[in-house]
Amino acid sequence: MRQKSFCFFFFRKRRTLLPLLALSGCTLRGAPSFPIVGAYFPAWMLCVLTGVAVAVGLRVVFLQTGIDALLSFRLFTYVALGTLAALALWALAFGP
Amino acid sequence: MGGRSRIGILIALACIGAAILAGLSVAHWDDAYPSTDSATIDAELVHVASVVGGRLVDLPVRENQHVHKGDLLYRIDPEPYALTVHQAEANLALATAELANQRRLLAVRTAQAATARDQVTRAQTNRDLADRTVTRLEPLANRSYVPWQQYDQARVARNDAEISLAQARQQSAASEVAIGDLASATAAQAASQAALDRARYELRQTAVTAPTDGYVTSLHVKAGEVLAPSQVLFTLIADEAWYAVANLREITLPAVHPGDCATIYSMIDRRTPIQGRVESIGWGVLSADSAGPARTLPLVPRQMDWVHVAQRFPVRVHLQGAAPTLLRMGATATVEIRHGAACP
Repeated sequence: MRQKSFCFFFFRKRRTLLPLLALSGCTLRGAPSFPIVGAYFPAWMLCVLTGVAVAVGLRVVFLQTGIDALLSFRLFTYVALGTLAALALWALAFGP
Repeated sequence: MGGRSRIGILIALACIGAAILAGLSVAHWDDAYPSTDSATIDAELVHVASVVGGRLVDLPVRENQHVHKGDLLYRIDPEPYALTVHQAEANLALATAELANQRRLLAVRTAQAATARDQVTRAQTNRDLADRTVTRLEPLANRSYVPWQQYDQARVARNDAEISLAQARQQSAASEVAIGDLASATAAQAASQAALDRARYELRQTAVTAPTDGYVTSLHVKAGEVLAPSQVLFTLIADEAWYAVANLREITLPAVHPGDCATIYSMIDRRTPIQGRVESIGWGVLSADSAGPARTLPLVPRQMDWVHVAQRFPVRVHLQGAAPTLLRMGATATVEIRHGAACP
């Protein structure tokens, strides 16, 4: 149920922003293991990649909007934001 | 500039703190609700064999066929076993006839023993008469009223009668012993009956039926093959109960209890959750540290390992209501204990 509402949330609120991520989020339903060319990759690996992508994406967005100028300790901030995104994805999609 | 810097530091601290808290809570969940992607679908097996050997004459099942309990799987040439049954039946008839024969002979011997007893009585009477004759003649012979010759004959007759009585007694004793009983013939009949029962059992074992519902696998031969007794012809995967064997790390085992709900995905279709119940947790695995030759000194390698990888134990999860197409023995599976789509 939780996973369904998670996907629903993405579809409703971020339809224009993140359609691809939302789509992948819905394909997450199922086993926490992803087949890629005949090998199964664990779910946490997907979460790590998502975290890295979110950190890079936020950096680009913040640079364009000027928020980046407000930040200090940028490396730690972006790493923390990426970690938060990865953990949120893990908790929502695969957590209890 | 100073204000902006303070805001930046505050944002950084908030983000890092939130990330640490999130990391701690996710780690806590992960321990409390274990899951693994290193599980396999498992079932029980029967290695199908017959306890008797012979030529395979009938094989109505094919590889991968589903069979029901009691279905005929294959048949071994029953002729030698039917012949053995006939032989055993003939042996039993022989033993039964012999028993009747012995019963008749017993009646004859019993009658002979009665005759011998009567002979003893007759010999005793004769001896008594001879004895009385001698007693009667003795005074007459002493006074020469009867010839001495007659008295002598009477004494010889008494001795004869004495010997006849002794012989009759011996013969009677011998015939009492000779009556015997039917124990030997009865035992021979029982032995023949047991041999016949065994032959019939072996004849029945030439037809092999399915001990359980299941799938025929590893069947590579056709009718005509000659099988030794107890030779396995193929393997039957029982489909009465299916399991997932999940290898969980020992540190997560306190969170796993028999009866816990589990969500299993067979990677044959990774979108269909299967509900399961934890049945049991393995009580032992072979460890490289404890494996050594039995009954001798422990083999302890010299080492200085600082990092020890957690041991994993097989957790047996009973699958409930899964589609048969998802269940193939050895298939990769993921198991989530007490969470996932099948455990609301």
